[in-house]
Amino acid sequence: MRGIYYFAVMTLYSLFRRRTVWGVAILTALALAGIASIPAYGLSGGGRFTVDTGLTSIEIGSLVLAIALASGIFPRDRETRIAFPILAAPLSRTQYLLGRYMGTALVQTGFIAVWGAGLVAIIALKGYPMPSDMAGALLLLGVEGCFLLAVVFFFSFWTSPPLNAPLTILLFILSQMSVRDFTGLMPGAEGLMRILRLLLPHMDSFHIKDPVAHGFDVSPVYILLAALYGLAYTAFMLSLARSVLLSRDLR
Amino acid sequence: MTKTWFVFILAAAAAASVSCARKADFDIAEIAPAEHLGEADIHGHSGEEAHGHDHGAAGETETGMHIHPAGSRNHGTQWFFNQPWAAPFVWGKMLRDTLVLAALSVTLAVSSSRRRSRRR
Repeated sequence: MRGIYYFAVMTLYSLFRRRTVWGVAILTALALAGIASIPAYGLSGGGRFTVDTGLTSIEIGSLVLAIALASGIFPRDRETRIAFPILAAPLSRTQYLLGRYMGTALVQTGFIAVWGAGLVAIIALKGYPMPSDMAGALLLLGVEGCFLLAVVFFFSFWTSPPLNAPLTILLFILSQMSVRDFTGLMPGAEGLMRILRLLLPHMDSFHIKDPVAHGFDVSPVYILLAALYGLAYTAFMLSLARSVLLSRDLR
Repeated sequence: MTKTWFVFILAAAAAASVSCARKADFDIAEIAPAEHLGEADIHGHSGEEAHGHDHGAAGETETGMHIHPAGSRNHGTQWFFNQPWAAPFVWGKMLRDTLVLAALSVTLAVSSSRRRSRRR
């Protein structure tokens, strides 16, 4: 456990030295600043627009950040041959994976928390009513971010970084689709498409921005259930990633 | 390696047979009970269709448009209420998937560790 902790801290420091991470963070902050600068034009629903677009910006920022953070870690470790001495003695492959994952997940959730605080500050400064389930919406965005990170890690062990990004984005898009829309992509093979949809995650479970923006209460039981669902899927993706890493010949 | 993939193929086949039962997945539009669909079901048309008929409780304006009470379920707000947070009847399926995923994670972790130790 101590090995994972130290390696996660090392990963954290190394990620903060990368320009890509700061680039994504600044772009998302700029998007939030853009949302803050849009006037309400005296309309009563201005707060809804700010909450809705703000949470959407955070979600897209989280997807891009996950790809920027994790897609290049293992390929770079392998290319620079850092992975070989680490895996040869001090760390097992499982500790390597979990250490790298924990470090990137800390950065990912940290940025989502900062963006969320920025959105809350914008709502407060503009004098809009604060949605009661804002914390729940941000929590589920954090869980979704951790899940996306696990997906990127899984792809990074058997694809190159340029292929990792489109695969993750494709999974992100397909996982938002309803069963009806998904089977509609190939109406001739409905059974096969149903099986595929059953295997894909239901990422719409993490979305409560619509009720939050429109002032509907979301049950705390649902928020807990959706968070558990996301964590279980994250654990499954990490298990898959670990299985791929253990079976790889790194020589 | 082969054994693990065999287990996964078996699991996929099991998932396939369950999925053939059609209602295994949680598409709210497919599995929603009539009371969840509310007014949308009574109308029996989608939001894109023309509105040239009487809507009963919905108020008609001079231009022929009709207005529903704010926050109510109707054909225009179906997309809003057909989301998991508003459909408690799919929460059980979410819990089922959570448990299945947790069990699969543990199985995969144990099987890949065993395979690795056997290879050494």
